[in-house]
Amino acid sequence: MSSSSDAPSTPTSSTATETLAARADHAVKIYGSGDTEVHALRGVSVDFKAGEFTAIMGPSGSGKSTLMHCMAGLDRLSGGEAYIGGVALSTLNDKQLTLIRREKVGFIFQSFNLVPTLNIRENVTLPMDLGGNKIDDAWVDEVITTVGLADRVKHRPNELSGGQQQRVAVARALATRPDIVFGDEPTGNLDSKTSAEILDFMRTAVKELGQTIVMVTHDPVTASYSDRVLFLADGQIVQEMIDPTPDSVYDTIRNLGD
Amino acid sequence: MLKLVRRGITANLGRLVLTLISVVLGVAFVSGSFVLADSLRSVFNQISEDAFAGVDAQVRAVEPEINSGETLLRFDQSVLEGIRQLPEVEYAEGGLFAFEQTYSIGDDGEVIRPQGPPVFTSSWGGPSPVSSFTLLEGTAPQGQQVALDSGQATTGGFEVGDLVTISLPIGEPEQFELSGIIDFGQGGTGGAYFLLYDLPTTQRIIDAAGVIDSIVVNGVDSVAERDLLASIDNMLPEDIEVVSGDTVIGEQQDSFGSFIDIFGNILLGFAVVVLFVSTFIIYNTFAILVGQRTRQLGLLRSIGASGTQIRIMVLLESVIIGLIASVVGLFGGLGVAWLLKKLFSSGGNSFPEGPLQILPRTIVVVVFVGLFVTVASALLPAIRASRVSPLEAVRDGGQKERSMRFRLIAGGVVLLPGLLLLALGMFGSIDSTASRLGAIGIGAALTFIGVSMLSALFAGPVAATLGTPVQLFKGVTGRLARDNASRNPQRTAATATALMIGLALITGVGVLTASLLATFDDLLEDALTADLFVYEENQGLSFSAVVVDQLRALPETDLVAGSADVEVLLNDEVTNVVAFDTDTGTDVVNYGIVEGSANITEGGIAVLDTAAGDRGLALGDTVSVQFEDGFVTDLEIQAIYDDNTVVERSWLINRRLSAQHVQLDQVDFVGVTFPEGTDVPAGRLAAETVTGNFPQLTVQDNSEFQEEVQGQVSQLQIVTTGLLVMCLIVAFFGIVNTMALSVLERTREIGLLRAVGMTRRQLRTAVRWEAVIVSVFGSLLGVGMGLLLGWAAVVAIPDSFISTTAVPWGQLVIYVVIGAVIGVIAAYFPARRAARLNVLDAISHA
Ligand SMILES: Nc1ncnc2c1ncn2[C@@H]1O[C@H](COP(=O)(O)OP(=O)(O)OP(=O)(O)O)[C@@H](O)[C@H]1O
Ligand SMILES: [Mg+2]
Repeated sequence: MSSSSDAPSTPTSSTATETLAARADHAVKIYGSGDTEVHALRGVSVDFKAGEFTAIMGPSGSGKSTLMHCMAGLDRLSGGEAYIGGVALSTLNDKQLTLIRREKVGFIFQSFNLVPTLNIRENVTLPMDLGGNKIDDAWVDEVITTVGLADRVKHRPNELSGGQQQRVAVARALATRPDIVFGDEPTGNLDSKTSAEILDFMRTAVKELGQTIVMVTHDPVTASYSDRVLFLADGQIVQEMIDPTPDSVYDTIRNLGD
Repeated sequence: MLKLVRRGITANLGRLVLTLISVVLGVAFVSGSFVLADSLRSVFNQISEDAFAGVDAQVRAVEPEINSGETLLRFDQSVLEGIRQLPEVEYAEGGLFAFEQTYSIGDDGEVIRPQGPPVFTSSWGGPSPVSSFTLLEGTAPQGQQVALDSGQATTGGFEVGDLVTISLPIGEPEQFELSGIIDFGQGGTGGAYFLLYDLPTTQRIIDAAGVIDSIVVNGVDSVAERDLLASIDNMLPEDIEVVSGDTVIGEQQDSFGSFIDIFGNILLGFAVVVLFVSTFIIYNTFAILVGQRTRQLGLLRSIGASGTQIRIMVLLESVIIGLIASVVGLFGGLGVAWLLKKLFSSGGNSFPEGPLQILPRTIVVVVFVGLFVTVASALLPAIRASRVSPLEAVRDGGQKERSMRFRLIAGGVVLLPGLLLLALGMFGSIDSTASRLGAIGIGAALTFIGVSMLSALFAGPVAATLGTPVQLFKGVTGRLARDNASRNPQRTAATATALMIGLALITGVGVLTASLLATFDDLLEDALTADLFVYEENQGLSFSAVVVDQLRALPETDLVAGSADVEVLLNDEVTNVVAFDTDTGTDVVNYGIVEGSANITEGGIAVLDTAAGDRGLALGDTVSVQFEDGFVTDLEIQAIYDDNTVVERSWLINRRLSAQHVQLDQVDFVGVTFPEGTDVPAGRLAAETVTGNFPQLTVQDNSEFQEEVQGQVSQLQIVTTGLLVMCLIVAFFGIVNTMALSVLERTREIGLLRAVGMTRRQLRTAVRWEAVIVSVFGSLLGVGMGLLLGWAAVVAIPDSFISTTAVPWGQLVIYVVIGAVIGVIAAYFPARRAARLNVLDAISHA
């Protein structure tokens, strides 16, 4: 788009031969204008390889949610480009963007993920129903069973606990076998035991099914479930850590805070 | 507190504007009814005043106790000479006036008549300002001259000085020179046509030699009005009276006034119905608004606001809305009055022109009604708001619904008396049709409220059922539409109720109309056996009985029977009886003889079975009858009949008897039969040679007559339905309102749906189908209720008027479709709004 960072882009890195699920290229996001202008992303370039579990961390207001939203086609960048499976999102109109969200992307919000009038199974199959696609019942059943809700498929969301509702959200995000799943603090509202269950499940999805997941979190323990942690500050990626542990993440945060 | 109210209003401006619209519509209709009636009254008052402004006194025959004529009684013009001799009298002129006697003939050879209003023939009443007429151009008519009103002159393309051919009641048409163009008073003729001649010419052409029906008098300036009246009165015979000019104006205004009152009250009736519908919308909006603000209200309570303060806050909001709506509605009434004028004018009637009037009374009533309706509708939601507990601030989830059991009981308490009243109106032993219909009206209102309350109980399942085909057809969007329509049954019920009432009334009118038509079909088959019908179409005016004799004289006709309405004193009571050519028996009109013979003689009378029953009369009994000329005779009951659909009175006598005792020998309907095997078109041609001399008359064969009546009935249905469409418009805004509020309430959900891949189009579809399900629910309820009401009304109305119940199935289907279409259109803006929501904003919407 119009504005882009002057740093040379590096799309062809050593990982060029591996498949990329998604990619940001000098992503810039500016909210408001004039006096109230906020630079939420200041030229973020990042690759998300297929089958990789990435955590994004950073202080409040650093632009984590903004990055996720723009990557997932929920919002548009002010500059640079976001790609899902090689498709440049800025070239798409609203309808095409909607179809990308429906078929290529899964999204887990912190809360309020479910449609109250639909039961659990219907919530999980909602994206496929919207597409009018034939539903792979066996796969849907498997996903629902894996998240441990096989006996609750006919229940409405308000009959489920918060943790159970988040599990349904995860199941829905995975059910379409999307290129990539984004989660914005998916376990942010949950106690540590419940979040551990959900994170285990996400991890399994990555390891065994080759699912790509990107998740925002504030919690070093949560981040340690991932393969790689990106640290964001003031709209820029400031550090990257492979194979994180809670302690190493905690240390990095402390160092960055100084 | 006031700050909160102000915030409450500004924060919810969009929704409140929609509420405003529903109040405004109802109020505007009330205002429009007043404005139209007041404007008409003022126009007619002005016309009456202008017409008699220059007159000090009027002399006329004393209205007899019984009088069958439609015009003033005529008297010998010698009275005029006597009055002119009086020293107190400056000027006196005799007048003569008649309906439908002479007509101007256009270039095409056809007589010129207005659509609807009558044609008057009158003598020129003297110089201005004594005359009721004002010369716009030219001079007063003298000798072989005529003056015409401007409307007629324009239609015929006549100009002063032209020779106008005029059709006369007797003899060949004659040519008159157009001496002038006139106006009645100053205010126009209300669409009627006038042909004015000097007095002798008028007397000659309408065959009224030597008689007049009124004298206008101006006194000498120095004489007081009282003295003038006294001195005239002194010289008048017993049966002639003198009244002041002001009395005449007053009488005129009263007679117009009572007509306008009826008209205005009918309009007000419709306005009340529209207001009633609005009430549901206003209630619903406030209920939703309070529901949506439950959290905020809970917060207010938890920081110390009392329940009373909350209640007052909500009521204050409604007061402000009510006030604004009333003021807007007041002026909206001008628009409604204008629209109503158009609606009625479309039926061929012309409305007199005049400025629209907003009287102080209108302002007071309209503002009061608008305020009352709004505040009363907001009362329940306000009470509910005041009961919100502080805990509600932290609890998630919507408002607590009142228990279904409470609804069941409350709904039943309202519905039961409603149904009982309906039954009472239908089957109760009430004699007066008006009371029966009154019971049905109140019963209907209660039933509407009861059904509305109870419908919340089944709105959920019914909406779900209605939505099932939508779901099958539209997949998950249909599913969402269906679920949303059934997820808040109270809201669905209240929204549907508004539509239900409108469609119920329209359906009821449809059933009544269909039943009336069906009754008429039966009637034509059984009762009207004539081949030809002759009558005056526009006003149902009487015409000379000469027509009967002339038709009878034709070789082509077999039986000819005329029917007249005659006022008599029957056993000392003023009674209208039908005078009929009973020599034709029941061959021309069959009025269902159950006992005796249809060939009533001049010494006999026939009586309707119910009237005979009421009075304990039987064949062979006698009743005493006195005619308007004072002749008294005893008549023997020779027949009892049971069908008063054509013979609209309870008594029937031989027309030969009445003809000798009425001032004007007239009939208002003639039936003709042809001998077996006669070609009806040929016979008709022959009959038209007779009626050709009476341009006001219409000749119709059996099927034309039937179409004519059907056309009139349908016209009535169109006008009534046109007025009831207001209800549908209010209901429409109700649906827009509810949908808009629901969409707003579900903003987060909509954001979520969009996030997981619902397209804008799919979202619009879902909202649209939700509205359709709600509106079809309302339509079905409405059509069902309409069937019930229509049936109730048909049963309550005497059989002599409507005897068969018929259901216009085709129309009912159309009404349900219209309901669905209303849903589609109503959903347009809310759906568009929902689709335009920004996904992220929607998701983070609190
Ligand atoms: N719709 C918006 N309009 C204006 N500014 C916004 C908007 N959304 C986010 N911002 C700003 O952009 C910046 C980045 O916000 P973002 O939500 O991405 O932060 P975050 O890293 O997700 O923070 P948190 O950890 O608190 O969720 C912040 O300064 C925020 O105020
Ligand atoms: Mg965030």
